[in-house]
Amino acid sequence: MLRPILAAIPIVALTIAVPLVNRVEPRFLGMPFLLGWIVGWVLLTPAFLWTVARLERR
Amino acid sequence: MSGSPVALIVVAAVVLGTIVFALIGVHRVKMDPAQYIVGGRSFGTIFLWVLLAGEIYTTFTFLGIAGLSYSQGAPAFYVMAYGATAYIIGYFLTPAIWRVGKEQGLLTGADFFETRFGSRALGVGVAVLQFLMIVPYVALQLSGLQILLGIAGYGAYNATASVAIAFLVLALFVFGTGLRGTAWASVVKDLFVLGGVSFAGIAIPTRFFGSPSAMFDRVLALHPQMLVLAHGAAYHGTIWFISTVLLSGIGFFMGPQSWNAVFSARSGDTLRRNAMLLPLYQGFLTLMIFAGFSAALIARGLKGTAVDQSFLLVVQRYYPAWILGLICSAGALAALVPASALLLAAASVITKNVAGTFGIATSDRARTGLTRALVLVVAVLALGFWITSQRTVVELLLLYYNGITQFAPGAVATFLWPRATALGVGSGIAAGLLVAVPLAALNISPLGINAGLIGLAANVAALVIVSVATRPRVSATAPSIEAVS
Repeated sequence: MLRPILAAIPIVALTIAVPLVNRVEPRFLGMPFLLGWIVGWVLLTPAFLWTVARLERR
Repeated sequence: MSGSPVALIVVAAVVLGTIVFALIGVHRVKMDPAQYIVGGRSFGTIFLWVLLAGEIYTTFTFLGIAGLSYSQGAPAFYVMAYGATAYIIGYFLTPAIWRVGKEQGLLTGADFFETRFGSRALGVGVAVLQFLMIVPYVALQLSGLQILLGIAGYGAYNATASVAIAFLVLALFVFGTGLRGTAWASVVKDLFVLGGVSFAGIAIPTRFFGSPSAMFDRVLALHPQMLVLAHGAAYHGTIWFISTVLLSGIGFFMGPQSWNAVFSARSGDTLRRNAMLLPLYQGFLTLMIFAGFSAALIARGLKGTAVDQSFLLVVQRYYPAWILGLICSAGALAALVPASALLLAAASVITKNVAGTFGIATSDRARTGLTRALVLVVAVLALGFWITSQRTVVELLLLYYNGITQFAPGAVATFLWPRATALGVGSGIAAGLLVAVPLAALNISPLGINAGLIGLAANVAALVIVSVATRPRVSATAPSIEAVS
């Protein structure tokens, strides 16, 4: 059950969480917050999938 | 502005160089249908990554992200979000599909539906629909190519003829090399796109504003509303954003060319590693958002479809011809390489799932020959379609995106709900298309929700109701995603 939950976290962050982060400040690496949030989660996605893969191996 | 042919010469040299490179890459590979259509199921992680990146990121990713950032701002961020969503879904779904493909010797998406639901009618139906969706999508790539060649020629040449020539050369290339050729061409395409995107997203804002961060300061001062989404059900508001990210993420791997690519993998783990690595490429495309916002500050006032040219016009006006040539080369390859994968996908579903079903071309040799001939037929059809209906192509793109997603419920049901029947899946696809396509064509999005997602709901409802009402197949065995992973 842990694997689907882990995998769902970035999807939730990139969909239903978006109205909560729909603002400009604080800036993230110069980007408006909304864009920084999205880019950050896209780049974190490999880490989540890698963890899922590690759990699968066990 | 000058009529200098330098930029066009650079583009022609790069495109021809790519073709020669790919021809060397496929040198002496013996072609049977499995080799021609799915590369002999032998692609490793890196080669598959290059192929997937090569066919996923088309000229409209390249031009469209910048264009949408230019004209609307924050709604363009959805492209980043749906990519990551799609790869997470793909992490679980594509290895399961690959496994079925390997065990049953499948080559196309329509094969999958035919085999899993034991229905030739469903296979033929899916094949015909996929074929119909591909033709406008190829035509769209040609429109992108026309924009690029027009700009590379500084508006002094009629680009239509050069588009036709470039495209027919491409069709001959696919005729000769199949999926392996597309993968080799993707190697060059990805390098050029990475270079072009870095230039557009870093060099342009740095030259004009000092840094990307300073560029955003200017956007914030002049057009603050561009950096956030409108609220709730408003046009391109947060509800639109969420529903579009979900829709695009679910439909992502359902394009006919994606099935070929999934089956070309060497193993399920190859696909899992790709799902992990592709978000990095997606993150890189953030730079095209930078390019679009920069163009919005530098060259205001473009309207309609001209917004797709926004950052290219900046390059054309402020940079030397050879730089424009290299950027346009990246864009031209981003049109031609995915188009080559699309031609092959369209030809292979017709050979395998329509001709094969009616007893035509049953030997391996005849199949390879027919697929090759059909590549040329599809190319001519797409070219004719493009020349006669240029203006409506963008609207027909809606058919593609809303259409391919409707294959997802059936594909997922084979793993999660074995009770699904062929008639149920067929009804689901029909219901989904009947709801999504008219809504999308009329630009209606109830409560701000993307029409495709409403079609998807109708699809699932019809799939469940009709499946329950029809007799289950005798051998309804379906391994779960867990079991095959």
